[in-house]
Amino acid sequence: MEPVNDMRVETRSQKIIELLSLGESRDRLLAFEVPKDALTWTRFCGSLLLVLLILLFFSGIFMAFYYSPVPGTAYDSVDFALFKIPFGSVVKGIHHYSWNLLLMVMGIHLGRSLILGSYKAPRQMVWVTGVIILFFVPLFIITGDLLPWDQTGYWSTQVRLSIISSVPFIGKSAARFLLGGSLTGVVALTRFYIFHILLLPGFLVLFLAMHFHFIRHRGLSEPLGTDPVFRPRIPFYPNLVNRWLFLFIIVSVVLAIISRHWTPPLGDPADPTDSSYIPKPEWWVLFLNQLVSVFKGGLAVLGSTLIPAGLAGLLIGLPFMDRSPYRHPAGRWKILLSAAILSGFIIGLSIMGYLEHFVLVKH
Amino acid sequence: MMHVKFTIGLSLCLALFIGALHFSASEAMGASKQELIAAKVKSEPAGLDDAAWETSKGIVVPFEGKEAFAGKHTSVTVKTVYTDDGIFFLYQWKDANQSVTKEAWQYEKGNWIHQKGNEDRISMLFEIDRINNFATKGCAVVCHVPDGATNAREGKFGTSTDAEKGDLWHWKAARSDPAGFADDGWLTIISEKKGGRKSDKGEGGDKKNITDDKSKPKYMIAQGKSLDKNGILLASHAVEITDYSVFKDGDTITYCMPKNFTDSFGDIKAKSRYANGEWTVMLSRKLDTANPDDTAFNIKRKYNFAMALFDNSGDEDSYDSEVITLKFK
Repeated sequence: MEPVNDMRVETRSQKIIELLSLGESRDRLLAFEVPKDALTWTRFCGSLLLVLLILLFFSGIFMAFYYSPVPGTAYDSVDFALFKIPFGSVVKGIHHYSWNLLLMVMGIHLGRSLILGSYKAPRQMVWVTGVIILFFVPLFIITGDLLPWDQTGYWSTQVRLSIISSVPFIGKSAARFLLGGSLTGVVALTRFYIFHILLLPGFLVLFLAMHFHFIRHRGLSEPLGTDPVFRPRIPFYPNLVNRWLFLFIIVSVVLAIISRHWTPPLGDPADPTDSSYIPKPEWWVLFLNQLVSVFKGGLAVLGSTLIPAGLAGLLIGLPFMDRSPYRHPAGRWKILLSAAILSGFIIGLSIMGYLEHFVLVKH
Repeated sequence: MMHVKFTIGLSLCLALFIGALHFSASEAMGASKQELIAAKVKSEPAGLDDAAWETSKGIVVPFEGKEAFAGKHTSVTVKTVYTDDGIFFLYQWKDANQSVTKEAWQYEKGNWIHQKGNEDRISMLFEIDRINNFATKGCAVVCHVPDGATNAREGKFGTSTDAEKGDLWHWKAARSDPAGFADDGWLTIISEKKGGRKSDKGEGGDKKNITDDKSKPKYMIAQGKSLDKNGILLASHAVEITDYSVFKDGDTITYCMPKNFTDSFGDIKAKSRYANGEWTVMLSRKLDTANPDDTAFNIKRKYNFAMALFDNSGDEDSYDSEVITLKFK
């Protein structure tokens, strides 16, 4: 009897596929193969990033159902979703911890590609789109931080806006465009909300599509020391897709457990008249914050604009500067040494920032 | 082999994440606000000296004098613990005099006069529904109306809108403590004619012991009953005085007789002791009373509250604290 049932199911699903004219797509999907090394743990970060982005989208949609982007009610709506809705803290926690994890994993993903020379021809655009996606994350965080309308978000935004304003030529206009005026009020909150849930996700999806487009056409970089001609391949579906689904479930459960135990933070309601509040920078922005505090007066533009822009330019332009065909780290020690020095510089500034804001702080 | 590598990769990433969790989860707080951490205990503290209080770190809250106490300072040590369904606060503060008189009657040379003296009190205000800027400015946003306002006296305490509601815990050494309770009130918008301070649903507070012509006390202790703590006469132990000739010079009778506390008015239970120039007061309540006139404590959330201390004084003369954050460990 079993085979008969299977046949019925298959026939039914076939009918649906035919009805939706998806037969060709299905055949292409089933025929699509990826290198077997796509399943190795060294590729794990890319898969994890995809899972985290999906989790961020879903948890964000849930929170948007309850969110009210008006200063008088924004805080209460977040507070309600967090503490009154069943599992609200879990969903908000998944959103909160996902972006923290996303930044960390992106750093590892980038570091791996840098060490293994995955950015080299013909995969320059895979690297460039990946770096652009990395730059989107802080934009999401900056726009998202203001949305709960709590003290942390409100005053962090003031600090960031003052840094943006200090950028020569365009800074003041950019800050004014973000705020929709001179004050951080209802227009600013609405704009930040639109950026956070509409414009930035739209651009992110676009660059993700480009990233995958280039991966699809230029292929995954070969593991070092392997023969690209004899590279075993496996079906994309179900092998890789199932692995992603498994990872999605594992990460969701782990993040849910973490969120259940460590409720995501929500500060006091924003009080724009409380000038005594001094926000502390989050971990990912410590080095940028420190750059701004190191360079003062006439040199402020160095810390707020030139050095960050220079680092970003170096990162994007790396594949076009390092054109040697060698991928093995031993043959690229100059590039790796430079990267290590820059990384040390960033880590050093972060440690300085941590000490200044969290350890040596005077109460 | 592939599965092993995958598992190693997953474990490494999760280990990295959990390692960084503490840092990313910590709230980036800027202002130096005092935090009171409620410690979880298995069973509720039985009294003022229960070992459960040792589990709470406690904080010393500074108070600044207002009106008659302007320029003066004092402090209160506050501890808090919680169980699965209750929350408990312990307050200790120095006070050279135990004040429980509250205008008690005294018989002197054929006349009944009110003794001079008020009572010691301590109060806490939480938010039921967010009070605008209470988290940063505390009682300053609810305690004062502009000078010269028509409702200045009645309206000294209240919120600006209907949507803002406060939960007031008010322990009174003479009027609530002898009954074993603290007044449970709530705060809402200041109306044109009245303040925003309301009593929770139910009975409680005190009953004035005074005759219709306001010349003498109306009640005395009933036969077979005894005075309560600090020599206070409870309303439930009082009978109408039929023969005033039994009193002699120097006799005293309570003026404000604590009533029985019922329903939501009696949500906050109290125990206290005055010894060696120090008050020790314990207040307890259910975490969630299910009453709309009370703050429902959710242990995942943090709460802002502020306190006021009254040293033998009326409403206007108090020591006020800054706003404090209550967190559950």
